[in-house]
Amino acid sequence: MLTKIAGGDIIDPVNGRLGKGDLWIRDDKIVAAPAGGAADRTIDAAGCVVMAGAIDIHSHIGGGNVNTARLLLPEQHAAHQARPATTPLSNAGWSTFQTGCLYAKMGFTTVVEPAMSPGAALHTHLELADIPIIDKATLAILGNDDFLLSMIRDDASSQMIEDYVAWTVASTRALGVKVINAGAAAAFKENVRTFSLDDVVPSYGVSSRKIVKTLQAAVDSLGVPHPLHVHCNNLGSPGSADTAAATIAAAEGLPMHLAHLQFYGYGTEGKRRFSSAAARLAELVNATPEVTIDIGQVMFGQTVTVSSDVMRQFSARGSASPKKSVIHDGDGNGGGIVPYSYGKDFYGAMQWAIGLELFLLINDPWRVFFTTDHPNGAPFTVYPALFELLMSREARTEMIAGLPKSAMALSTLAAIDREYTFEEIAIMTRAAPAKLLGLTDRGHLGAGAIADIAVYRRDGNIAKMLGQAAYVFKDGDLVVQDGEITHYRWGKALRLNPSPDKAMVRRLEDYHQQRYGLSLDWFNFPDSAIAREQPFGEVACRT
Amino acid sequence: MAVAWIGNRETLVERAAAHAAALLGSSRCPVFSLDTDIHGTRAAIALAERVGAAYDHADGAAVSRETALFTDKGAMTVAPGETRRRADVVVIVGELPQIHHEFVGELSDTVPDLSAPDLTGKNQREIFLVGSNGASAPPLSNGRTATLLSCGEASLGATLAALRTQCRGRQTSQPVSNFDDFAKALEAAHFPVFLFSGDATEGLALEMLQGLIADLNRKSRASGLHLPARENGWGSALASTWMAGFPLRTGFARGFPEFDPWRYDVARMIAAGEADLHLRISSSIVQPQKKRNRMALIALAKTQKPVAGAAVTIAIGEAGVDHEAVVYSSRTGSLRSIDARAASELPSAATVIRLVASHVSAEAALPC
Ligand SMILES: [Zn+2]
Repeated sequence: MLTKIAGGDIIDPVNGRLGKGDLWIRDDKIVAAPAGGAADRTIDAAGCVVMAGAIDIHSHIGGGNVNTARLLLPEQHAAHQARPATTPLSNAGWSTFQTGCLYAKMGFTTVVEPAMSPGAALHTHLELADIPIIDKATLAILGNDDFLLSMIRDDASSQMIEDYVAWTVASTRALGVKVINAGAAAAFKENVRTFSLDDVVPSYGVSSRKIVKTLQAAVDSLGVPHPLHVHCNNLGSPGSADTAAATIAAAEGLPMHLAHLQFYGYGTEGKRRFSSAAARLAELVNATPEVTIDIGQVMFGQTVTVSSDVMRQFSARGSASPKKSVIHDGDGNGGGIVPYSYGKDFYGAMQWAIGLELFLLINDPWRVFFTTDHPNGAPFTVYPALFELLMSREARTEMIAGLPKSAMALSTLAAIDREYTFEEIAIMTRAAPAKLLGLTDRGHLGAGAIADIAVYRRDGNIAKMLGQAAYVFKDGDLVVQDGEITHYRWGKALRLNPSPDKAMVRRLEDYHQQRYGLSLDWFNFPDSAIAREQPFGEVACRT
Repeated sequence: MAVAWIGNRETLVERAAAHAAALLGSSRCPVFSLDTDIHGTRAAIALAERVGAAYDHADGAAVSRETALFTDKGAMTVAPGETRRRADVVVIVGELPQIHHEFVGELSDTVPDLSAPDLTGKNQREIFLVGSNGASAPPLSNGRTATLLSCGEASLGATLAALRTQCRGRQTSQPVSNFDDFAKALEAAHFPVFLFSGDATEGLALEMLQGLIADLNRKSRASGLHLPARENGWGSALASTWMAGFPLRTGFARGFPEFDPWRYDVARMIAAGEADLHLRISSSIVQPQKKRNRMALIALAKTQKPVAGAAVTIAIGEAGVDHEAVVYSSRTGSLRSIDARAASELPSAATVIRLVASHVSAEAALPC
């Protein structure tokens, strides 16, 4: 089928296409305008902005910890209306089904679950497979697991470490690797309560820095397109900007991605000893081209923090609202679920401002990524409002007026004029994520790309415009019209597939038998276990 | 081999499924009780949404107690693998279901290899049992016995409360037996783990246990290993939570999922005469049961003959025996893929439920 999206304002930074024009789709791909071709279907995009489908690189949408958060908070996500007939289970509060539908309505077509515990890979992929419409991907967590820490302690060769990382990525069907407060979850099991970049995991004598550097090198050398995704130490604590700065410096020329930098943007100035260090961190990011970051923007309201940083979540459990939490010591990281409400008080306002400062002070939209660390800073459903804050100084000024002056005095936000353009939005939420994840088939509108397309009707109200897409195509299927789901389909989980080294597999089999009393079969699974036609899509490693 | 019946009359699966769909379609208050694998659960929940049914585990009470711990209070928990590798003190809380006895035996037969340097000299973990005087622990290796922590005939909850009080250095009216041994073991412990299940343990006791664990974590480490009363029950609870946003005892009477552990207690709904149609999905062979009321029954079970009194019976295979499956494994604390041990032609629960669903009229696509 040949579809023509006619007369929209096309914004495709990758191919340098900006301005009014037509976009053609044949079946599931974008094609060049066919010579004299007649479209089977024409979509009138006059008065609309046409972009590639958006890509979210860091959103906790599925897996053990996310599901535990749902279980912990039945009162937080009741549904309020009967379901529309065409979208099964999509009005269930915070269900996998709702997740896919809500993302699609905003024009998002690919979302990365950034914290898959390798031991729960099957569970995670089953949840992702129940998220309709969009494509998904996962990052496998390493860096608190005994196998890796023991290898580092024992000075294993970099080849062996790469073999282990490759096996983990392949067997868990991941698209990349994440390290979360490297070493801290292991140290917490030995009753260590705070952990910094140069602290050492007691039983191993291995520092957090060493774990990060080891994984960063392995990921790079394996040709995993996405650089090591780093959740730094000391998340959320005053002064954590020092930790983030030290971690940025530790990139040392190799690619590194820092997750939810907002949660480390905290200085110790002011009488509350909690202030914005965003300007300092933005400057460091600007000066360190090998580093990319996402924000983890805070927006006001009730949410729940879901993190595999078990040490941090344990220390935060006193702030739980409502007063309940789950802290799990897992095989590697485990995790913690702590419900939290961001109020418009000094601290909430400070966090809100710091995220926006980072967005606005980091110059290169190719290196700063649009996230709320869903649901940690806010649920992803706040994205339309967040776009508005980035694109409109006026919207920010209005918000600032309602926030404590004591907080705003410790932030530069009010003085920042910058407003994101649609082109910058297209880079930050489409082109750059595709590049960062190694997904050459999306994030742009060039011929040959998969037809993941979002069409937004221009509106003075940016939140409304970007919150309810006029049309969304996923793999050429028209899935959303006027902000409503019109077609139900299943996406894939994108994965790498490096071939595991046979000697490493044997070693791991022995290790599991000896240490856990279980064969590796207990953890492996065939694709058929997912019970969807094509659950996975393969992405190539860099060669 | 016959695989489907309407009443006692043998029929084609397709026809039995259509009849089941018609019954579901005309039911005022259908209820499902599940004892099935993950994909069977997924299919059942999709069907429940379509016909407005409520669903629960076949033995809903125990699963519900465990669920309530998480929905009401939260918990500190540890993975089974970490328990094996780290627990230098193991505390069995109450009577554990038979399915977990093997793991307890394994714990008594192995020593931790992580973060317990003191234990390298010793050759065993210390094992305690919290319970009343008559309580028995699962068999331990080499004829070892667990040290009993009890307050005579006091309930488990009361015993845990006393234990917690004494751990805080206060007196109780009735002291816990062998408390000094326990205190000494905790003092030396690196990572004590409490094994708990909702099987025979009331909700307040589970909460009290978590209070004790929280207290211990002020200064040192400790956690709880959740050993679910029913593995299929916990698996279904997890799948329900991601699909509907809520655990079991969720109902679709109003078209969207509502979680209400009292109202959608399926056993209660049946006993109270609220339900008029019961879809029972059993992964294992069911014993014939006396029908106690006029409510219609649709039985999906591994059977060679019609289930007594059922309006419709359709034979299904057993997960991991007749067909490959995904199930909750308490040994890994997560979902696990299992092969068919003796693959057969018998369809999975999921396949049959989807077939039934395909006969229920609706415009919507089925998600599972
Ligand atoms: Zn995150």
